[in-house]
Amino acid sequence: MKGDRSWWKGHRSSHRLPDACLLSFALFGSLIVVLTVLAILSLAVPEVGDIPHLLEVAAKGRIVDSILLTMGAGLNAVLILLLFGIPLAYVLARVNFRGKGIVESLVDLPLMLPHTIAGIMVYLLFMERGPLGAPLAQAGIFFEDAYAGVVVAMVFVSSPYLINSVREGFENVPLHIENVARTLGASRFQAFARVVLPLSVRHIYSGAILAWGRAIGEFAAIIMIAYYPMVISTVIYYTFTTQGIKEARSVAFVFLVVCLAVFGLLRFLTRFMGKYDDRI
Amino acid sequence: MIEFDGISLRLGEFSLRDVTLHIGTGEYFFIIGPSGAGKTVLLEAIAGLHSPDGGRILLRQKDVRTTPPEDRRISLMYQDYSLFPHMTVEENISFGLKMQQVSPEKVKERVRRIMERFGIANLANRLPRTMSGGEQQRVALARALVVEPDVLLLDEPLAALDPITRDFFTRELARIREEYGLTVVHVSHSREEALRLATRVAVIIDGRLVAEGTREEIFSAPPYREIARFVGMENILDGEVIGTAGGYVTIRIGKCRLRAPDRGLKEGDKVAACIRAHEIRISPTPPAGREENVLSGRIVSMLSDGAMVRMTLETPFTPMIADVHRSKVIRHGLKEGMEVFLWCPPDAVVAAPSLHPVESS
Repeated sequence: MKGDRSWWKGHRSSHRLPDACLLSFALFGSLIVVLTVLAILSLAVPEVGDIPHLLEVAAKGRIVDSILLTMGAGLNAVLILLLFGIPLAYVLARVNFRGKGIVESLVDLPLMLPHTIAGIMVYLLFMERGPLGAPLAQAGIFFEDAYAGVVVAMVFVSSPYLINSVREGFENVPLHIENVARTLGASRFQAFARVVLPLSVRHIYSGAILAWGRAIGEFAAIIMIAYYPMVISTVIYYTFTTQGIKEARSVAFVFLVVCLAVFGLLRFLTRFMGKYDDRI
Repeated sequence: MIEFDGISLRLGEFSLRDVTLHIGTGEYFFIIGPSGAGKTVLLEAIAGLHSPDGGRILLRQKDVRTTPPEDRRISLMYQDYSLFPHMTVEENISFGLKMQQVSPEKVKERVRRIMERFGIANLANRLPRTMSGGEQQRVALARALVVEPDVLLLDEPLAALDPITRDFFTRELARIREEYGLTVVHVSHSREEALRLATRVAVIIDGRLVAEGTREEIFSAPPYREIARFVGMENILDGEVIGTAGGYVTIRIGKCRLRAPDRGLKEGDKVAACIRAHEIRISPTPPAGREENVLSGRIVSMLSDGAMVRMTLETPFTPMIADVHRSKVIRHGLKEGMEVFLWCPPDAVVAAPSLHPVESS
């Protein structure tokens, strides 16, 4: 921090005090941050006060496995979303068609639904007698109480985060740039792959982080179809109901630290990603 | 080279309606029109970026309805140049050749040659955001031309440049057309650009092609009142034809009469008498030997513009604008507030009906 207060964004050097409007906005806005910090502290303070117990919980194979399972399933869900969500986002960004509003509403539906309803929908669709679950079960892919069930539930609830973010990225790439690529000899796919995709990489990355974050935080939708294998949310709930708040809090704190470290690093990496000009 | 045969195209609220147009090989064809008239859509339709709902587009005598943009051998350059911001200058220019699967050695050689031609070899490793508008313009032109197109489409390519750079590129575009033997279709608002570059001009208003002709036909004798306004005719006086004789029509404007060359008009037609400011002569006394096309008025304001003085005059029916040489202003002692006479030769008056007759009446 410098003595001339140049740290204050929006501050003009001729003024000695920050802009009153910005200051009041910052004060009001900071209440949300304060709330989050208080919640973290209420979890962290008792845990830091009992490090041996915390280490004992953190070292439990069941907890480590569950964290790895949750992160891995979240990653799988994001990879599936990238595969199917990027084409959908491109069509929504570039094409106007009859019924587009309906498709957009369907994309956003998981945002609005209570997660238990999302869970029931996923269960009905992918259970062994479900319209998709039955044929896939015949092919040897099972979803009930299976890893695949965790992944599909995660895909369902996190899809709007990725699709909407990627779509915004595609919309930010001027159509003119794509048109020029076409007239220079690129097919539509080549123009997409060589021009649109690289210019949207920040939005894709950002959407993937959001979707991953949403996926690993899911509980209700997952337990409807796959109580086992236990993702971390299920483990925390199970621990809370069987061993009480102290044990559950320790598991929660371990996962909180892992999340802060991983997402902090991922957000930091965004800074170095695909920033080419003001428009994109 | 390019033919539009009754093209109709709808894009949301906007539509091109029944556009028929022929652009010959080697022409420098200008498309002018107000904002939102459909000029860019027309250009993009030539490039194959929009499929017409009706009519045919012929390219080199071939219907190109199913030919995608990448197979048309047409390059397009937008006002913002649309350089690929994540690619260096060299990568931008080589993009088209790579897409056409030209061998790497040939790509390198052709890119090197064209960068030298446009004086941008020193920018090879720069990203677009680090370059000036003029530099970006040269890179965009090099990128468009390196793929050796038959047709170059330019969408207001000079609009974002400062006057000196614009002047340079206007000459450069004329040179490029000859050097590469191109057919150029250029969309612009600028009368000056069209006057310097165009071999032929089309005017598009509200999605309709309303006029097509040589630049002299469009700029000196616009067929419609709206075009006269668009091409910058300073004085547009609404009136009615009250007589035709000897190849001229007489137009009544309020209590005044103006004579203009007859363009197939008939008595009772609503027309506008359109006169360029530099065609109007001003004198403190009635012009000797002139009995027609003489009006009286008062000088309201005088603005000096180099050798010329732009005058705003109050006349019995409408304010008028006249450009008078400074020497004449001094010789006649013309001053603001002075009562004067305005005269213009009948051949300098263009009688132009309106595209929308009801509105003009």
